[in-house]
Amino acid sequence: MPKAKFQWTDPFRLNDQLNEEERMVRDAAREYCQGKLMPRILQAHRHETFDRAIFTEMGEMGLLGPTIPEEYGAAGLSSVCYGLIAREVERVDSGYRSTMSVQSSLVMYPIYAYGTEEQRQKYLPRLASGAFVGCFGLTEPNHGSDPGGMETRATKTADGWILHGNKMWITNSPIADVFVIWAKAYGEGENDAGAKEGDIRGFILEKGMKGLSAPKIEGKFSLRASITGEIVMDEVFVPDDGLLPHVKGLRGPFGCLNKARFGIAWGALGAAEFCWHAAHRYTMDREQFGRPLAANQLIQLKLADMMTEITLALQGVLRVGRLLDEGRATHEMISLIKRNSCGKSLKIARTARDMHGGNGISDEFHVIRHVLNLEAVNTYEGTHDIHALILGRAQTGIQAFTGG
Amino acid sequence: MKVVVCTKQTPSTTAAITLNNDGSVSWEDAGGKPNILNPWDEYGVETGIRLKEDGKASDVIALTTGAPDDTVGLKTALAMGCTEAIIVADEAYAGVDTLGTARIMAAAINNIGDVSLAIFGRQINGDMGHTAVQTAVKLGWTPLTQVTAINEIDDDRIVVERAVDDGRETVEAPLPVVLSVSKEIYEPRYPSFMGIRKANRVKIPVWGNDELNLDDAGGSKVDWSDIYDIPAREGTVQMIDSDDMADAAKELVDSLFEEKVI
Repeated sequence: MPKAKFQWTDPFRLNDQLNEEERMVRDAAREYCQGKLMPRILQAHRHETFDRAIFTEMGEMGLLGPTIPEEYGAAGLSSVCYGLIAREVERVDSGYRSTMSVQSSLVMYPIYAYGTEEQRQKYLPRLASGAFVGCFGLTEPNHGSDPGGMETRATKTADGWILHGNKMWITNSPIADVFVIWAKAYGEGENDAGAKEGDIRGFILEKGMKGLSAPKIEGKFSLRASITGEIVMDEVFVPDDGLLPHVKGLRGPFGCLNKARFGIAWGALGAAEFCWHAAHRYTMDREQFGRPLAANQLIQLKLADMMTEITLALQGVLRVGRLLDEGRATHEMISLIKRNSCGKSLKIARTARDMHGGNGISDEFHVIRHVLNLEAVNTYEGTHDIHALILGRAQTGIQAFTGG
Repeated sequence: MKVVVCTKQTPSTTAAITLNNDGSVSWEDAGGKPNILNPWDEYGVETGIRLKEDGKASDVIALTTGAPDDTVGLKTALAMGCTEAIIVADEAYAGVDTLGTARIMAAAINNIGDVSLAIFGRQINGDMGHTAVQTAVKLGWTPLTQVTAINEIDDDRIVVERAVDDGRETVEAPLPVVLSVSKEIYEPRYPSFMGIRKANRVKIPVWGNDELNLDDAGGSKVDWSDIYDIPAREGTVQMIDSDDMADAAKELVDSLFEEKVI
């Protein structure tokens, strides 16, 4: 057996499992995130501000919709590259990663996958460059894990649709130019897509439409560096060309969520890696009772657990990324990695905060910020428990979502 | 107008460098990026790309010499926006010093042909800063070093601002010239993902002595006879214990004066 050297920051040599393009993308993303985002995050989080210029910078880099083909002004990268980018952005902050994920997976992806060529040409280049900010309206005040119960309605008129309803917890909505909205459609009758009364359909709304507003949600203790709001639609008229024609039913929003959840599974591990490395550095440097904290077995056990969970989870997300790029990934696989990464990362962040002692509650050490962020990341895009139900159904054949 | 940016691939600034028992040097980077484009050359690449974006340059060609697979720096230059890249690699050129490198660069620039401007970064990891001027001499072109701004450029002439002791000077020269640029000139951009994809599709030509026809690259006149780690610093820490902060401050200042630190 050739002599091998263990590298504690990359125990299973993930680096060797990437090709040159993937490594270049990761490195460029890391340079941008550490060079431009990290210096902003402390104040952005502390004062709950979002710098609109970040969209323009991300657009120039190609961070927005990176898997969308180059002909639409994006980079046309693989899913593995998208995961590597999410990991680097979330190493800085889950709020910035949320901003990127929403634009990429929840706005650009549905327009690309379910839209007409005219819709693609109209929106994708401007969303890719950061000229437009997009948001995604699925969750409602009374319907979170159960989007099929949504109350937002789209009613057909002679030359378009009237949308009425409220959406809640919508990343980017207060500053959005483009709104991808999911609503139950009525009055369409028989059509080419075979839609039935009450089928969920997707619509593209634009800022400034009459009856459309997006108030900011105040008082968040999580993802404070990304802006979150409601979407209020009071009889908003959307012309026919605002309908995403090529999808109907929950398959539409779930297709988007699968892409976003895959990115989250990678991203959360970036936050976990930051917390692990911060805890490592802190406990190596900090001396109590005449020796480094890291000299204690209790600390080493925590560091060993962090290394183990992160290393194994990274192999998992890479494997699913490869399958996604080969067209062989399923939504159950994505539920597995989303749930695993978020749950484990939240636990790692909490442990790292504990290892920082009193300093762990200061934002200058950044770990408490990751703890707060990961509380949201563990909840949104399918809670930890909902993904357990998906995995439970996948192996028993019995759905446990409803009592019936 | 053709612009050539002369670059070098260097160990990453975050790499841990090890001096081996046999006197060789090796390095590894925990972030998985052992080699990079020489950071000083990023300013040269950015300068070239800006000339293209401003409609002054038609081609911005990144050039390097090294082993045939030393293409990390060139790919970064392409991803930032250079239009072409060329690597000069030949066993006959192994181990050259800065003068040898200058002969190679000059020969390659002549082989490209019709070049108006060659741009270097300020220095490479050897911290010599010779190569730009030596290349200018080999080409018979004007060297303009420590350039902080290009004020004007047209087909025949260039006006630049140079950093000199205590200020700046404006210099005009007929083209072709060799520039070495300092980091005041522009902030280098990050390679974009769109650029990375393009860079990975480009086939980088490898030139050897068949193309350059150098009788002698010159080997190295410099003998790197002894490379050693910087000895660990020895020092002691003096703790000033006092209940009164003013007394402690006075004692600290006195000690610093005594040690001629201030």
